[in-house]
Amino acid sequence: MPEIMNQTHPHPYRRGVSIIGVGCTPFMYTVDKEETNGLTEGELFGYAALKAMEDAGVSPKDVDFYFHGEASPLNGSNYLTPNIQIANWFGMKGKASIHHSEACCTGYYAVEEAVNAVASGKYDCVLTGCVEFGDSLAVPNHPYKREKMTMEKFLQTTAWLYDRNYTRSLMAGQELIYDDAAEWYKRTRGITDQEMDDTLNWMCINNRRNASVNELAIERRTYESIAKEKGFENVIDYMRSPYNPKMGDFLRAGGLELKCDGAAAAIICATDLVDKFMGNKSHKAVEVLGIGCAACEATTPHFEVTATEEAIRQVYELTGVKPEEIDIFYANDFIITSHLIAAEIAGYLPYGEGWKYICEGRTAYDGDKPINTNGGRTSFGHAHAASGLADLYEAVRQMRGEAGEGQVKRLPKTAMLRGYGGAQNICTYIIRTAE
Amino acid sequence: MAIKLEKVVQTFYENLEEGKITGRKCLKCGAVEFPPVYACNKCGCWDMEWVEISGKARLHSIVMPAALSSKPEYKALGKYAYGEVEIEEGARLNAVVRGINKKKRAEMLEKGLLPAPCHASIYQRDGYKTVVFDLDEE
Repeated sequence: MPEIMNQTHPHPYRRGVSIIGVGCTPFMYTVDKEETNGLTEGELFGYAALKAMEDAGVSPKDVDFYFHGEASPLNGSNYLTPNIQIANWFGMKGKASIHHSEACCTGYYAVEEAVNAVASGKYDCVLTGCVEFGDSLAVPNHPYKREKMTMEKFLQTTAWLYDRNYTRSLMAGQELIYDDAAEWYKRTRGITDQEMDDTLNWMCINNRRNASVNELAIERRTYESIAKEKGFENVIDYMRSPYNPKMGDFLRAGGLELKCDGAAAAIICATDLVDKFMGNKSHKAVEVLGIGCAACEATTPHFEVTATEEAIRQVYELTGVKPEEIDIFYANDFIITSHLIAAEIAGYLPYGEGWKYICEGRTAYDGDKPINTNGGRTSFGHAHAASGLADLYEAVRQMRGEAGEGQVKRLPKTAMLRGYGGAQNICTYIIRTAE
Repeated sequence: MAIKLEKVVQTFYENLEEGKITGRKCLKCGAVEFPPVYACNKCGCWDMEWVEISGKARLHSIVMPAALSSKPEYKALGKYAYGEVEIEEGARLNAVVRGINKKKRAEMLEKGLLPAPCHASIYQRDGYKTVVFDLDEE
């Protein structure tokens, strides 16, 4: 069992807070294509921010403050204060802002920070946005050129996520990120190695099916079509083959994030001011019922499991929502195992049975327990900070019935989103369509 | 006891150079923080004292290194795995445990040998010493 840890019991908000607009860029390898090579931070963030404002029916003049998330601004953008550099790109010159980074959890804390600012009463309407060039680096001393991020450089910078004093020295915490959750799940649920392998593979297959009907996703070729192209009749045989090699003790290549570039944003306002801000917009606002947060540094055993349990306990305790009320679930799954363990800890999938739901395809967008309907990090892509808000973008579109071909069967009213990252933050929130 | 600005990290590594594996014990509840830090995460007290740990421990989980989760320098460890280790004093941490390969893991899991006894060892890395654990001989 994970070690008992410190707990927090957050209080309800002083006033209701709602999401009224969302925006998201396509997730891209910008430098790989002529039409996207040369795009900048201000252009990506600005696009997502203005799309969110347009969606909400507000102008930049209505927005009091903005939050800016970027996981690695110094490395990716040559910026120490990236929020300062781009306000004028979306009409907010002179308005205050703050930059934050929680690595891959940034897009989730983007919601936590923005909601707190409105709930406190200080601001009525804020923008929260995130941008990341996860696949490219700013060329120093050039105004817009970027170069491809090499794997060597990427691994060098991800090492910065871990405690320098003990964790890097002890050599275990940073290496357990890939397989600890799978080992924990297999051991505690009593399933076989083959069942675990198939579960990891089916999560990849389901994610890809979801991405195949999402025009913003970076990889839309289904594994079924790739398998056929390689001469496999059965997709699971392809997933078990050397075409999808083992990279970890359990994890295969398909279960890893597709690091890329992108931005996403949301407009968040006081619930009692929704009508004022949205004007004649016809869509319903989505209320943030509560947010639970926890963090476990990587020397903590089963850090993802332990912190997820605490954050989810908080959000249920705070909101009074029951697991059976959750209609759709999102989990940051840059390591694919995350979406299984988070959904089971949340009670969205029954204890010890989640792996079966996944292997039966029930968690794909057209199943009865949809998870990561945008395709998740392994198919929608992972623009590190921006991915969390891209999840929110997708959840809100689903809750409005605006997800097009990828729309889930039953219109979701209540969603849970669980963010994870930064070795390791957890931020989990529940949103519900306004009556 | 007054809160002190002190070099806990450096002291920990200097103690390893002297052959001692040390943690910090809470004077209020008795919990041991390992690796050592300023305050107790069990009761919140910041009155702590240095203690030498016994080195006895138990391994609760096993993850094998693989392409993504190993580095060339780790070859010097010989056979090893990663896992949750609980030291005799109660602290739990992610650690390297030597003496395990895939075959050994399969045998341990088949025989239900977890948690398995192990012990702390001082291990020389490039420029400093650290702590790994070794599976106890059967």
